[in-house]
Amino acid sequence: MNLAHLHLLLNHVPTIGFGFGIGLLAASLLRESEDLKRASYVVFFGVALVAIPAYLSGNAAEFILKGERELPEGVVAAHQNAAMLALIPMEIVGLMGWLALRRFRTWHQPAVLVLSIAAFLLMARAANIGGQIRHPEILAADSPAYAPAWPSPAAMGAAFVLDNPWVWPICEVLHFVGLCLLFGVTLLVNLRMVGFITGVALAEVNRLLPWAMAGLGINIITGMLFFLAAPEQYTQNSAFVWKMGLVVLGGLSLLYPAMFDQEHASTSDMLDAPLTRKVVAACSLVIWVGVIFFGRFLPYLGME
Amino acid sequence: MASVLAQLEQSGVATWIRESGVLYGYPLILFLHTLGLSTVVGVSAAIDLRLLGVASAIPLASLDRLFGVMWAGFALTAATGVLLFVSDATKHASNPAFFVKLAFVAGGVAALALVRSRVFHGQQRGAVLAAASLGCWLIALTAGRLMAYISEFIS
Repeated sequence: MNLAHLHLLLNHVPTIGFGFGIGLLAASLLRESEDLKRASYVVFFGVALVAIPAYLSGNAAEFILKGERELPEGVVAAHQNAAMLALIPMEIVGLMGWLALRRFRTWHQPAVLVLSIAAFLLMARAANIGGQIRHPEILAADSPAYAPAWPSPAAMGAAFVLDNPWVWPICEVLHFVGLCLLFGVTLLVNLRMVGFITGVALAEVNRLLPWAMAGLGINIITGMLFFLAAPEQYTQNSAFVWKMGLVVLGGLSLLYPAMFDQEHASTSDMLDAPLTRKVVAACSLVIWVGVIFFGRFLPYLGME
Repeated sequence: MASVLAQLEQSGVATWIRESGVLYGYPLILFLHTLGLSTVVGVSAAIDLRLLGVASAIPLASLDRLFGVMWAGFALTAATGVLLFVSDATKHASNPAFFVKLAFVAGGVAALALVRSRVFHGQQRGAVLAAASLGCWLIALTAGRLMAYISEFIS
């Protein structure tokens, strides 16, 4: 299996996953079910995370296919731009879902519903264009999908980094700021979950979690800018593949402590922590250290 | 001074870090430096946020044990930092960003010690200290990350 296969596997997750999430959210509205609503937010958050490697593996697939046959250049670029145009609202929906799981505001539900449907339609469009790369027999060059009227965020992002020499260093600084926020806050929360920190309810410590999420957000944005500007530097690197796999797992682990937001400090909670939490916290800690490890070793490890 | 730096650079350890090319050499030291700094800066920033009013229900006493974690992180960062410095002593010593970084790391560490003595074990509210701490770390991170670009720019 190579990364092109991975792309074919992952590229169905965003559309199908969001379709499923929208179904759950719609059902929750009809049946006024709190559980279904929360389930839909979890689905949106998870799919938004997996959508990132789904996007990234597309560039790897392009690289592999280029070596095998002539690619319809305009279609590939159109597919990339369409995918980025869908990825952006998808990430916003994922973030809103995560926030809504923790502290619900009345505007969350309609906003998530509208934006997730928009993201779903945009991703379906991206998938449709992508299908024409694999099946050139259905290719129609005058297809309205390539009309230049559609914004091209992938190309714009790449140009923004490549045309302005200050962008890359600034993004590196911000990537470290995001890393410190994410690692520091998750470390604190994890140390509470393993019981190293006591005398405070997990729900109180969890109020710091949005800052970890902010760090993750900064790093997804700055990391994506690096990738857009120099995709071949990453797609050919196995350390990067490991890093992205761990980022998805680490992101998912940010759901776990939020499950205990309603919990209040009990005597046992003040003294010790349940075993499951210790295990999850230890895993989360190892995952984030692994992310830093593979990020730092990227230039030295896994280059062809 | 120049000869001291050159001597440091020519030492066995420095030469090995610079030239061995093994993964457990320079890359591992760089990784440990990052791990240590993200522990000190990250946990310190989380405490600063608490002092600035985020998650204000967390009792400070419960966070006291974190100082041990931060000092361990700082020790790791400092030790690996010394190794990284000697491996390229002349270049780093001629880089103004390096001294900016050192100064603000000192500021950040001083703020950390003051937060412990005056806020955790004193009466001070600590909002000003917390803001100063965040500022020091931000400048130290920026200067450290830009060192490579600035040394390229100078030479």
